Amino acid sequence: MHEELGLGKKGWRRMNHNPQSSEGRHDDDAALSDFLASLMDYTPTIPDELVEHYLAKSGFQCPDVRLTRLVAVATQKFVAEVAGDALQHCKARQATIPKDKRDKQQKDKRLVLTMEDLSKALREYGVNLRHQEYFADSPSTGMDPATRDE
Amino acid sequence: MTNGGGRAAPDDFGRAAARLAAAQLCQAAGFHGATASALDAFADVAIRYLLDLGRTAESYANLAGRSQCSVFDAIRAFEDLEAPRAFSGAGAGVREIANFVESADEVPFAQPIPQFPVIREGTNTKTNMNMNMNIPSFDQMGETPPSKHIPAWLPALPDPHTYIHTPVWDERVSDPREDKIEQARQRRKAERSLLSLQKRLLLRNGSVEAKATTSASSDSAAGLDPQVVGGDDKDVSPVVKVSDEGGGGGGGGGDGKRVSVLEAFGPAIEMLGGGGLCDEDEDGMGGRERTELPAARPTVHFKFRTGKKFIGESLDTKLRKKDVSRTAALAGREDERDDKKRRAEYILKQSMENPQELTLL
Repeated sequence: MHEELGLGKKGWRRMNHNPQSSEGRHDDDAALSDFLASLMDYTPTIPDELVEHYLAKSGFQCPDVRLTRLVAVATQKFVAEVAGDALQHCKARQATIPKDKRDKQQKDKRLVLTMEDLSKALREYGVNLRHQEYFADSPSTGMDPATRDE
Repeated sequence: MTNGGGRAAPDDFGRAAARLAAAQLCQAAGFHGATASALDAFADVAIRYLLDLGRTAESYANLAGRSQCSVFDAIRAFEDLEAPRAFSGAGAGVREIANFVESADEVPFAQPIPQFPVIREGTNTKTNMNMNMNIPSFDQMGETPPSKHIPAWLPALPDPHTYIHTPVWDERVSDPREDKIEQARQRRKAERSLLSLQKRLLLRNGSVEAKATTSASSDSAAGLDPQVVGGDDKDVSPVVKVSDEGGGGGGGGGDGKRVSVLEAFGPAIEMLGGGGLCDEDEDGMGGRERTELPAARPTVHFKFRTGKKFIGESLDTKLRKKDVSRTAALAGREDERDDKKRRAEYILKQSMENPQELTLL
């Protein structure tokens, strides 16, 4: 199905310059329906009830469970990507800490999601997450991060 | 957690569930732990993303003139939100998702959560099933709305007795005059029964009880001179003793043991007439005394004092009869000195009379 989708999508894009044939579109639709069917096998981490509640809150009316699952999967993809980026930041920070090896070993074992990593990861997604710092360690604390020297 | 112990916000349940989902995804990504604030912020961002997706999809549907969203609306919304991520062109959104589905491990939600928000009875569910159990509508009550502008499917108005207070009047009429008449009647009745009791006791038991009840009855008898009360107290003890000795002589009339109470109550008893007496007169000789006072009357010795009233004065003309002359004064008040003197004389007299009575019996 994956390849089909790829072909379908590529075919559609190639035909973008030309009037697209109906076949590509049909493939596209077929692929989509197949994908939606396959969604029912996949259980997203975000439960259906939660998704339905917040979709209803925003006005999204849909009696179709597959669509709800699609939205749930999309959200899960977003969260997973952000988490992965935060993990990268966390690991990068640990690599740059000038400590002796034993401390680093200890810290390697413990990867903790902090506000700093999260805000860095979310900035690429256009989410501006500012966290009030508890300790003012340096004079540049609390300033706009864009002006800080990294 | 989210509130720090404050009041529960209505969205707390959703936030807690989103927090759990975010934590699970962080763990799946490789994190060993997370700070609480970071996790809260992450859950909040995830919720905002979800809301944004729904809102954008809905706007796309409305743009096309539809009220219900389709899959294409959702895909377009997804691509809209993914735009900052330097996408590779339109139409690849589903591919991204498909890639993700294929590659990522399935991380199910830790706990099953119920359908929320919980529908409380009284609201309409999404499927338009009316679960309104609290207040029935006008149609359900079988009533017509009071005005034309109120549709019949609205909840019925409350019954008038729940909000209109009508005054409650006490229908019982109290007549103060009637109350007073009733009170006087009851008092008279009590007096009459008391007097009849006196007479009964007098004639049945002789002078002992009569003497004993003198002060008591004088206390309670209404209409009598209250000054009698004090004076008779002193008379009781000596007279009682005397009467004991002479009591065996007979409950019958004719001896000189009549007591002052008879004189005191004489007019009252006569007023009662025969109706006030009881029937239980055990003394055979007392039968003829039911309706008449004893024939024998002692000689009443009066001492006139200023300022004091003697009951015996009024009875003087009626009751003065002679049988045994007595110097003891039985009516009115005496000084203590006189009491002792009188007592002594009386005892002496009784001792003389006793053998005479015995012979009579």
